[in-house]
Amino acid sequence: MKRLVLKDLSKTYFDPYAGAHVTAVQEVSLEVKQGEFVSVVGPSGCGKTTLLNMIAGFIPASGGEILLDERAVDGPGPERGVVFQSFALFPWKTVLENVAFGPKIRGLSRTEREKIAREYLDLVGLANVAERYPNELSGGMQQRVGVVRALANNPDVLLMDEPFASVDAQTRMTLQEELTRIWQERRPTIIFITHDVGEAVFLANRVVVLSKGRILKEIEVTLPRPRAWDLLTEDAAFKALSGQVLQLVRSA
Amino acid sequence: MTPLLKAWSLYARWTARYPAVHSIVPFIPLVALWAVVAESNIFPRAFFPGPLEVVRSFGTLVYKGILPDYLEDSIVRLAVGTAAGVALGIPLGVLVGLSPRAHALLWPILLFFQAIGDIAWLPILLIWFGFSLTTMTFVIVYTVLFPVVLNTALGVRSVPLDLHRAALSLGASRTRVIWEVVLPGALPNIMTGLRNGLGYGWRALIAAEIIVGTSGIGFLMFDARRAGSVVEILLGMIVLGVLWYIVDSWVLAPIERATGERWGLVTR
Ligand SMILES: Nc1ncnc2c1ncn2[C@@H]1O[C@H](COP(=O)(O)OP(=O)(O)OP(=O)(O)O)[C@@H](O)[C@H]1O
Ligand SMILES: [Mg+2]
Repeated sequence: MKRLVLKDLSKTYFDPYAGAHVTAVQEVSLEVKQGEFVSVVGPSGCGKTTLLNMIAGFIPASGGEILLDERAVDGPGPERGVVFQSFALFPWKTVLENVAFGPKIRGLSRTEREKIAREYLDLVGLANVAERYPNELSGGMQQRVGVVRALANNPDVLLMDEPFASVDAQTRMTLQEELTRIWQERRPTIIFITHDVGEAVFLANRVVVLSKGRILKEIEVTLPRPRAWDLLTEDAAFKALSGQVLQLVRSA
Repeated sequence: MTPLLKAWSLYARWTARYPAVHSIVPFIPLVALWAVVAESNIFPRAFFPGPLEVVRSFGTLVYKGILPDYLEDSIVRLAVGTAAGVALGIPLGVLVGLSPRAHALLWPILLFFQAIGDIAWLPILLIWFGFSLTTMTFVIVYTVLFPVVLNTALGVRSVPLDLHRAALSLGASRTRVIWEVVLPGALPNIMTGLRNGLGYGWRALIAAEIIVGTSGIGFLMFDARRAGSVVEILLGMIVLGVLWYIVDSWVLAPIERATGERWGLVTR
């Protein structure tokens, strides 16, 4: 089952300082199946964020189309959940209210939405900080909230743009392991943007290498799950795959 | 040394128990100095009365009911003017902050009218509306409006783009985003605008009462001048200061503590 389909997707920016057009994404075609975990990796400036922002509906495409279950995407919508690098939690809402925000918009009663929110907070071990405000949490905790806030809204696709880039290395590994665990339990469809090759391979079923706005190569990742860093760091297959992707990214 | 230490520990204990003591203590030397200068009779007593005379006149004016009446008039005028200024200013600020077109259209006009100080309107207002409540209300609303509009617009623009996007991606409509994201995000700035607006509005009110008034604290002071009562003028000035302190510490500061500071949007 094809869930998300990108057809010849392009984006051209106008740079007013240079007075010229910049092509950030060029004729990208991609199919993502229901329940798939796809990583998009590439060097800085290759158009990863632009691609994700178009799928999220934050910016219009210059050409091509985006279809979600055969329907054209137009603007942001709750069927495409987003996890931000900046976390983007609402500072004036408690952790619980943040996670309950999507259900609240859907019109669920306070009891219903708080029940859902607590369930999801439990999933990442944050039930005990439900009443706190985001600024009272560590970066790692804040991004856990960011992830479950998106999940609690039951999106068809989860879009993540370098969500773990601004936490420390140890926390990042824990978050990656938690995300693979959640993915295995609930099978959401995920598009995960990163510039970290190891992260891309560790998480995904498929790694898409992006270069200068184009897809350079798609690589299937068949590493067994559950995945844990303790097991994979020394794993030959993981190392081979990472090496292959790294070479592609560096040649990009 | 020991008595000094004892006094200090007493002070520390009292301020811990009653935080208000903190704000009263700094005034003790000031009032003492005032009393000493007044008692020394360097200046004629009628020109420079001491604290005791002011307290006595406070008593008489409260007893006669003049001070409470005037105070009420001033506060009601300020409250009505501020409420109107805020009710107009916040939506206007949101509009200017969100819409580039509205910004391009309204910003120059706002800056132009902001430059015409509130009091500068009095001559023409007096011709249009006479010595009336309309004139006074206009001046206060006018004064409160600009800081609220300008700061609200600033606050609206300071809300990170990702927060808008997050809300939209969670299904919120544009209107919903205004209530759930834009207004709370702009609240610290709106409070700054309100604080400035109230401060300016308060001053404008006193000035308007002096010129236009038939009642109010400003009028009390102006009337006292006519009667040559320095005591009442001083009393009016002290009332102004105390009242501002009360508004700040009982109304504004608690709101700020419960919102922006709590959320980590404003550093303490
Ligand atoms: N708003 C914009 N206006 C003009 N050019 C832009 C704009 N946004 C991005 N670009 C350009 O488009 C290209 C792709 O940018 P994009 O942010 O998508 O890259 P990225 O892969 O996400 O990079 P990074 O890894 O650094 O986040 C870059 O050359 C960038 O300069
Ligand atoms: Mg990026």
